[in-house]
Amino acid sequence: MENKLKVSPGFIVLVIVLIVYGLVTVIIGFATGDTVRTWANLLLNNYYFMSIAIGAAFWLAIQYITQSGWSAQFLRIPMAMSDYLIVSFVLWIMMFFGLHHLYEWTHLDVVANDHILMHKQPYLNVPFFAVRYIVFFGLWIYLTQRLKKLSLLEDKHGGLIYFKKMEFNSKVFIFVFAITFSLFSIDWLMSLDPHWYSTIYAVKKFIMAFYHGATIITAIVIILYFMGYFPEMNKTHFLDFSRYIFALSIIWGYMWISQYLLIWYANIPEETIYYVPRVMTEYKPYFYAELIINWLFPFLFLMWNRIAKNPYALLFAVVVLMCGQWVELYMSIMPNTTSLHKITYIEFGTFIGFLGVFAGVVAWSLSRMNLIPKNHPYLIESVKHHG
Amino acid sequence: MKNNSIIGIYKDEDVFLEAIDELLANNIRIYDVFSPFPLHGIWEKLKLKTRMPYATFIYGAIGTASVFAFLYWTSVVNYPLKFGGKPLNTLSFIIIMFVLTIFVGTLFTFLTYFTIEKMYPGKKVKLPEPRTTSDRFAILIEKKPEMDEKELEKITGLLEKTGAIEIKEQEVDY
Repeated sequence: MENKLKVSPGFIVLVIVLIVYGLVTVIIGFATGDTVRTWANLLLNNYYFMSIAIGAAFWLAIQYITQSGWSAQFLRIPMAMSDYLIVSFVLWIMMFFGLHHLYEWTHLDVVANDHILMHKQPYLNVPFFAVRYIVFFGLWIYLTQRLKKLSLLEDKHGGLIYFKKMEFNSKVFIFVFAITFSLFSIDWLMSLDPHWYSTIYAVKKFIMAFYHGATIITAIVIILYFMGYFPEMNKTHFLDFSRYIFALSIIWGYMWISQYLLIWYANIPEETIYYVPRVMTEYKPYFYAELIINWLFPFLFLMWNRIAKNPYALLFAVVVLMCGQWVELYMSIMPNTTSLHKITYIEFGTFIGFLGVFAGVVAWSLSRMNLIPKNHPYLIESVKHHG
Repeated sequence: MKNNSIIGIYKDEDVFLEAIDELLANNIRIYDVFSPFPLHGIWEKLKLKTRMPYATFIYGAIGTASVFAFLYWTSVVNYPLKFGGKPLNTLSFIIIMFVLTIFVGTLFTFLTYFTIEKMYPGKKVKLPEPRTTSDRFAILIEKKPEMDEKELEKITGLLEKTGAIEIKEQEVDY
């Protein structure tokens, strides 16, 4: 049975409009002299959608490792989302032209007069930085594409052998992911403030990627469900998706408070400097908004069983959480780069542009493979899933 | 509650669940079921309802609010002691609030449950079929005085047909 996504011409036009809108915004941003702000926004959105794609790949790996039955019919969605990593790799190349505007440690004259930066120079230098970027992306793309290839082979030939191979591949992936994604977050986000460091920073970003990857998977599944692509989907599947979001929101909140509270208690000047611009300046509302949107809102909203099973309510929660992730990354990047708290057309437009690219890539990828992996060993369990 | 019941005893989980469906499809009212472990889907099948989660939520909310009030009173109102130049009313309350919310919610839910079920330490168990605590599943159907011979036969027939290993009639009290 062929069950591929049919992309409507209207959707293609919409994607092109979004991308063009983003491109125009970026060009205007550079032309009007907001150079640093535009680069910071490009970094934010590059990281935003890359973390969603890699978080979805992690979600996929977790399903294989735990041999989950309920999710078997939805596995093609994280596979399609991880295809964005290839596009992200290409899009990220442009960031190297903006390194000088964002990262203090790329200024060799500053580094030469700074003991701490001199000490960090063997790690934080542009050639090694570029090598790490290529190695990390290479590993992610290789492992996620291998998962996808094995799944497509399973569609063709069937049998348990591919499932076992994918389970092993997923185990390799989560180890690689844990190390490389942590270093990647340190490289691109934490080194915006090269004097400051925190060991829990990467963990928080890792949880963020998993959390928001899971929310976007939920959104895509629900949209496809409304379009009629998952006839076997029932209330319990929605409940399981919202359980993922609910549980991850608590872990996210835990990481947030771990990061904040340890620094607050210890009260060491080199550590508290991170929170000084975030709590004591105009960024203060965003600081609280980050916690309330990403933790308190899903915690109270999805607690009610009836809401957790309702696809419209879930879709609403996903939209709010997309704003939440944006605020989180905004708070990680902006106070250390532009130091302006401005949300105008640049912030809006770059996000729209990247959203267009992401939606286009996922839709294109879904239109090229069966939406339901038909030879997956747990498919029947997924269809009959109750409770 | 005391009544005369027809009890059907089953050996297998899946057979038991199908038997419930079959009985409900024939418009037979099931008084209660017994199982050694929690079963998936039985909640929806028997259309059971509970307000316990709402009670837990309210206990938790009261816990959060009262713990915050206590912390605020001790460290801001009654004994404002500055240390390390930190503000008096801070986010560091969250950990104690979080932990005590769980504690208050759990403890009071547990007490509510015991009150509703009239349980207390040392209470003697009243089971219509003691083997349901090890490896048997039981369906209880209330035997009403207005039931005639034909209806009772239909019930026992259905229990037998759906794979009950034993059917008995006894007075239950629990």
